[in-house]
Amino acid sequence: MTADELCYAGIRELGGLFRRRELSPVDYATDLLRRIERVDKNLNSYVTVTAERALTDARAAETALQRGDAGPLTGIPIAYKDLYATRGIRTTAGSALLADWVPEEDCTCVTRLQRAGMVMLGKLITHEFAFGIQFPGHRFPPARNPWNLDHIPGGSSSGSGAALAAGLTVGSLGSDTGGSIRGPAAFCGIAGLKPTYGRVSRAGVVTLSWTLDHTGPMARSVEDCAFMLQALAGHDAADPASSREPVADYLAGLEGGVKGLRVGVVRDYFFEGVEAETVAAFERALGELGRLGATVRNVEIPSIHVTPAFMVIMLTEAYAYHARDLRERPQLYGEVLREKLMAGGLFHADEYVQAQRLRSQLRADTARVLESVDVLITPTALGPAPAFRVVLDPDFPFAKSNMGPFNMTGLPTLAVPTGFSASGLPLSMQISGRPFDEATVLRAGHAYQRATDWHRRRPPVRT
Amino acid sequence: MPEMPSEVTLDEVKERARLAGLVIPPARLDLVRGFLANALKPIRALDTRTVRTVEPAVIFNAGGNAGGGPEPRS
Repeated sequence: MTADELCYAGIRELGGLFRRRELSPVDYATDLLRRIERVDKNLNSYVTVTAERALTDARAAETALQRGDAGPLTGIPIAYKDLYATRGIRTTAGSALLADWVPEEDCTCVTRLQRAGMVMLGKLITHEFAFGIQFPGHRFPPARNPWNLDHIPGGSSSGSGAALAAGLTVGSLGSDTGGSIRGPAAFCGIAGLKPTYGRVSRAGVVTLSWTLDHTGPMARSVEDCAFMLQALAGHDAADPASSREPVADYLAGLEGGVKGLRVGVVRDYFFEGVEAETVAAFERALGELGRLGATVRNVEIPSIHVTPAFMVIMLTEAYAYHARDLRERPQLYGEVLREKLMAGGLFHADEYVQAQRLRSQLRADTARVLESVDVLITPTALGPAPAFRVVLDPDFPFAKSNMGPFNMTGLPTLAVPTGFSASGLPLSMQISGRPFDEATVLRAGHAYQRATDWHRRRPPVRT
Repeated sequence: MPEMPSEVTLDEVKERARLAGLVIPPARLDLVRGFLANALKPIRALDTRTVRTVEPAVIFNAGGNAGGGPEPRS
């Protein structure tokens, strides 16, 4: 295996190499750190590289392997969105406001992956306070899309998407309030899972919108997402929304295939404004799932058009979180973000309550649809990653979101690559399931990835 | 009671900003108006008198297998 192939290896493969002593976690971490140094100057995906920490973790992993005390994630490199608190390591949330924040504790997710033996390579750029678009005046240079440097990698987990696509880490964690895991996954040609609301702890992760925020894994394959979810999932008393629902074995049924799986496609809303080549790739993916034995049919969610009420909830909660700093230290916010956050202060109390009522209606309607099908599949984004010159216009509007409905409903949703645009940029679909049924969602995504090779394509990274 | 207007006007945005004590630069008012108009569309289309009651309520589960809150004490 060449060094280039090795940097794109998956968790199962790397674990095998480590356990057979064919590869040392220390050597592997060292190689990835060198690659970050060479490649990331063009991509800006890392805010902080924690080289010493990585080597310490890798040595501990090597010791565990020698003792025969290694789990599936032992020695596997990971980098965290810079929204996840890391003890003794600066955590900026991509903002000037938290530019010097060095947390005293790790957040729960970092603790769990550290305990599982993962090797921390560093912290990855996020849009300022995880707000959907990287605006002009941002404190850090924006991450670039490895498939085309003139295009955005998506956000707000922009560094996570870019670093994974460029082979600069094996795993990452993102956060998803309105698509911030799935958007970068779609634009960078990787996999990203927004688990069920309450499945993975948010304790110690900087808040954007309490009732919409989710944390979850991002990786190059669905299988790697399953490996990480296994270590992450489970109740955490430190997160008030954390569920006590038992954690499934996400790997046990992963190879089960989709024979007999009932797939629902919501044609209303989700196809409005979607570009033709995204639709074509989506239909081919449905055809592939049908060939693999799934039954595909159209379904309707009667209240799907209430989705824009998402913005009332998101902006109001974000404003509530930031109100004091917006008044006392407005200069520490990027100009455009400041105005967008302030828009959240303009909604009335009754409008927020009505938005939550509409959300309940959407949840109920979607739950009803999921009684007759096992998963819903929809295009993740409207098209491939747009160019920076398009989104950096301060008047660039919030595009209609295909991802927001699943933050409203809290359902587990996985973004999976479905092909490429004529311009060479990745395309994606999202697979959503019933609450806490990540296992089925992952099984469907993995079956599709076993039958296709979109997730194995590599961007033209200059090394 | 007058009927709820379906559109959001610039004057309404200015009034909302005044009530909230927030200063929005005049050049950005139309952008903010656009956010509000889009977000409020489904809410303004909602007839609260006829809609089925759907409450955004916290659901407590006596079995304790879902939802948040502190660990039960033994």
